[in-house]
Amino acid sequence: MATYAFLLDLARCIGCQACVVACKTGNELPLGTKYITISERTQGTFPNLQGGFQNHRCYHCTDASCVAVCPTGALFKEDGLTRMDRAKCSGCTYCVDACPFGVPVMVDGISTKCDACTAVVKAGGQPWCVKTCPSHALMYGERDQILAEAQARVESIKARYPNAQVYGEKEAGGLGVVVVLPDSPEVVDLPVDPQPKLLVTGWQKAVQPLTLGLTSLSVIVTGIAAVIARRNHMQELKTLHQAETAGSEKAGEE
Amino acid sequence: MARVELQITRRNFLKTAFAGGGGMALAGREIGRAVANGLTKLGTPPAWFHQGEIKTTYNYCDMCPWKCGIVVQTVGDRVRKIDGNPLDPKSRGMLCARGQGGVSFVYDPDRLRAPMVRTGERGAGKFQEITWNDAFDQIAEKLQAVAAQYGPESVAILGHTTGDFWFTDYFAQAWGTPNAGKPSATLCTSPRDEAALLTTGVAIGGHEPMDWDAMRCIVLMGSHIGEDTRNTVMQDFMNAWGNGAKVIVIDPRFSSAAAKADYWLPIKPGTDTALLLAWINVLIAENLYNREYVEQWTEGFEQLAAHVQEFTPEWAAAITELDPELIRTTARVIAEAAPAAAIMPGRHTTWYGNDTQRMRAAYIINTLAGAWGNEGGLYFNKSPYLEAYPHPPFAITGSAGGCSAEPGAETAELPAGPSGKIRADGARTKFLRGATAIQELIEPMITGEPYPIKALIVYGVNLLNSIPNPERTLEALKKLDLVVVIDVLPQEHVAWADYVLPEASYLERYDELSAVAYKTPFIQVREPAIAPMYDTKPGWWMARELGMRVGLEKYFAWETIEEYLNTRLMSIGSNLEKMHEAKGVVIQKGKPYLADFNGASPFGTPSGKIQLFSDELAVAKLGGLPEYEPTAEPPEGYFRLTYGRQPVHTFAKTQNTPVLNEITPENEVWINEDVANGLGIRHGDRVWLENEAGTRTGPVKVKSTQRIRPDLVFLAHGFGSVAPGLSRANGKGASDARLMSQYKLDPISGGAGMRINFVRLVKEA
Ligand code: SF4
Ligand code: SF4
Repeated sequence: MATYAFLLDLARCIGCQACVVACKTGNELPLGTKYITISERTQGTFPNLQGGFQNHRCYHCTDASCVAVCPTGALFKEDGLTRMDRAKCSGCTYCVDACPFGVPVMVDGISTKCDACTAVVKAGGQPWCVKTCPSHALMYGERDQILAEAQARVESIKARYPNAQVYGEKEAGGLGVVVVLPDSPEVVDLPVDPQPKLLVTGWQKAVQPLTLGLTSLSVIVTGIAAVIARRNHMQELKTLHQAETAGSEKAGEE
Repeated sequence: MARVELQITRRNFLKTAFAGGGGMALAGREIGRAVANGLTKLGTPPAWFHQGEIKTTYNYCDMCPWKCGIVVQTVGDRVRKIDGNPLDPKSRGMLCARGQGGVSFVYDPDRLRAPMVRTGERGAGKFQEITWNDAFDQIAEKLQAVAAQYGPESVAILGHTTGDFWFTDYFAQAWGTPNAGKPSATLCTSPRDEAALLTTGVAIGGHEPMDWDAMRCIVLMGSHIGEDTRNTVMQDFMNAWGNGAKVIVIDPRFSSAAAKADYWLPIKPGTDTALLLAWINVLIAENLYNREYVEQWTEGFEQLAAHVQEFTPEWAAAITELDPELIRTTARVIAEAAPAAAIMPGRHTTWYGNDTQRMRAAYIINTLAGAWGNEGGLYFNKSPYLEAYPHPPFAITGSAGGCSAEPGAETAELPAGPSGKIRADGARTKFLRGATAIQELIEPMITGEPYPIKALIVYGVNLLNSIPNPERTLEALKKLDLVVVIDVLPQEHVAWADYVLPEASYLERYDELSAVAYKTPFIQVREPAIAPMYDTKPGWWMARELGMRVGLEKYFAWETIEEYLNTRLMSIGSNLEKMHEAKGVVIQKGKPYLADFNGASPFGTPSGKIQLFSDELAVAKLGGLPEYEPTAEPPEGYFRLTYGRQPVHTFAKTQNTPVLNEITPENEVWINEDVANGLGIRHGDRVWLENEAGTRTGPVKVKSTQRIRPDLVFLAHGFGSVAPGLSRANGKGASDARLMSQYKLDPISGGAGMRINFVRLVKEA
């Protein structure tokens, strides 16, 4: 089955915020919640400057840490994208801690992030941000084609941006947002090698089977379990962290 | 509104409760949120487009005056989403952040809800509700009293944005006042428009006729595309950039557009004309201009060549603080791409009071490049064919001007009103030509010279945040016999009204057709998506009600707006129904290139040639050729105040729109990081801005950045309103307008040069 992806061309993005507002109005997000954040980046000193924007959003990782840690199945992979059934979220915040990009946030106790406009796309439309982007910095389509487009765009801007590169082809198992970067990932604060912030592997082995079992119980039990789990979770994290840093250098940061 | 919101939530509540445990607690939370923010909620309801039948209406956006064609989707009686109309030549299916935020503008709970009459002192903001009938009866009586005592010319009508036609154009001409003005003229485009008429005889029009698709070199002089988020311009600019067009940006600030530029020229503010003269010098000295084009289409080349001989890049470098080699290189880049190269005419060109000459210098470069009428240069706009609604001759004929107005043919004598008076703005005496100078209408309200203006109708103009020297405006407001304000929101100046007439927003009304002069001329329709909210009414209705009470019945012969629109549309074989079927837009054929004129001259100058040397300006002793005039330098400890756009707001109009306010609730004052460090001011500090007259605004956050020269500060325009009715925007950020205690009148176009104010930063106590 085809997998889908976004193209995010940061060489083209002109920081107009149309995508941010289209996303908010199309998805009817409450005030205070947004799935995309635009921030200016500047390198150099006057008058030798370079600059652009970071367009921060869910990267829809193939190996999605948030999905790996989600004890209720609220976060899941479908069509290559990281989707979400908010009704299932127990509010445990594991995903918030796990995401290497710091994407999910809690809104009224429920995890919240871009779901790639699931309903719009299923109704045959384009994600709201893609549909409105006046600079054609955004595209959506089958991942193979998006990847090819990204590579072609990188080639076409090499004269202007010698360090231009594609980000997301392999990172985190391949991202569902393929980024055209004018320069190195650090310039827009993207991790060169995104790693889950939590020790997802250890976590999955040790704790997830336990909590997943709970999801079949009623909401009240889940609620209580979530509270307990949250408490336990912090404990486990500490233990796991100690265990793993002892054994490996490549631990999740923080 | 709240009722609908809760109904939807209730339905979801039931749905999710049946769906199983998790949803129940969530639904409870949703109800809480829905009530709390009165707007939207987050949860598990089906997406809005699955919540019921969708009604689609076509419209043109009113979130800025650019008027992108939009598709509005409504479910039940609630507008849910606005998108770009894919068929519209200006939106092509896309919208900017402001256009996307239109739903939030319409459902802003702070909107004006009912007509009101003043009960306290003017400016105290004390009002009580009044019926529409009583309001119009009283306004009509007062207007007629002013007309009887002083003549109808003593009523000034100021308007802006898409519905202003009914007041500044239709009502003003029917009533008989030449004192109708728009900020979009002398506070914005007048210098670039008059420069074009003087030089080529062809109006720039509302839409800078850049032939983007084929452009190979784009020069932006202060145009900060990306912060100025006119949708089409962003699309075209980034497409041209993507196609490899060379981009040259002249800006003392490293703008979003400068960050895309191949050449950024961080020019010393106020010296642009020196750079342009040096470019002309290089183009001629190095024989890089289009000789054939110059011979065929221009006059005055010899004079020009002699004039610029001394303006070498070295001469300009000393003035502009740019590298002379960079000046040479960029002139060659323009020449290499010519004729597919142009300096963008831009918007807001009222900077230093000598702005028409700067724009003439830019157009001379466009001419030497052979850009006018050639592919990839500057095309010729054409207005769509559409007849006016038949009406008896107006009491006075004349355009209030503004960037989207048809240029009124400049006659030697200005048209006079019924009691024989011409415009009170000093046209022909204080300045040479062009549309009404809105800022010059304030003085007669105070001094009574050349004759008194005693009544003021304001449609959608944010008086205190657009016209420089707001203190003077306040003084004038106190002296008037009548102030009527029509607006959607309780903006700052609304407190100064005698009568406040709340308008239905653009999604709630029919309106005048939008006829756009363009490469492919087109006509857009505005269909209401929902009924007017609260006790609000459309502008056309107000103009008519007022007209019927002051003896202007014959101009308002139509009973309904549908009848008015259908009559006009009949002239293009259409009607409202057909316009809807056509998805809101009709496109006609243009005449963009020289080749379309079969050898005839498209240039509207008396000789049919582009006037490199302007006879009209020479006769008026205003300079047949552009010269560089130095502007005053900031005194010790002060910075030049510059201002411009930021992406999500329009003027001082949208700062209160919830979804846009969330993204950018306040502006920041940009200052060079090294300078800020020297002053002990850090990024994120809050400071007051104080001009030389001691006027203060703020406190405002500091953006300490390398992206700006050391000798200026920059503010995004439109913030710092003092308007308690705007619960989100009131007092947020700093007002650039408040700091403009002075401006310099452009003696040619009447434009108000506003970049001559200096400010210092005062740390918050
Ligand atoms: S709409 Fe496009 S150009 Fe504008 S901020 Fe978003 S990605 Fe960038
Ligand atoms: S540029 Fe933006 S605000 Fe202006 S008309 Fe277009 S969509 Fe509306």
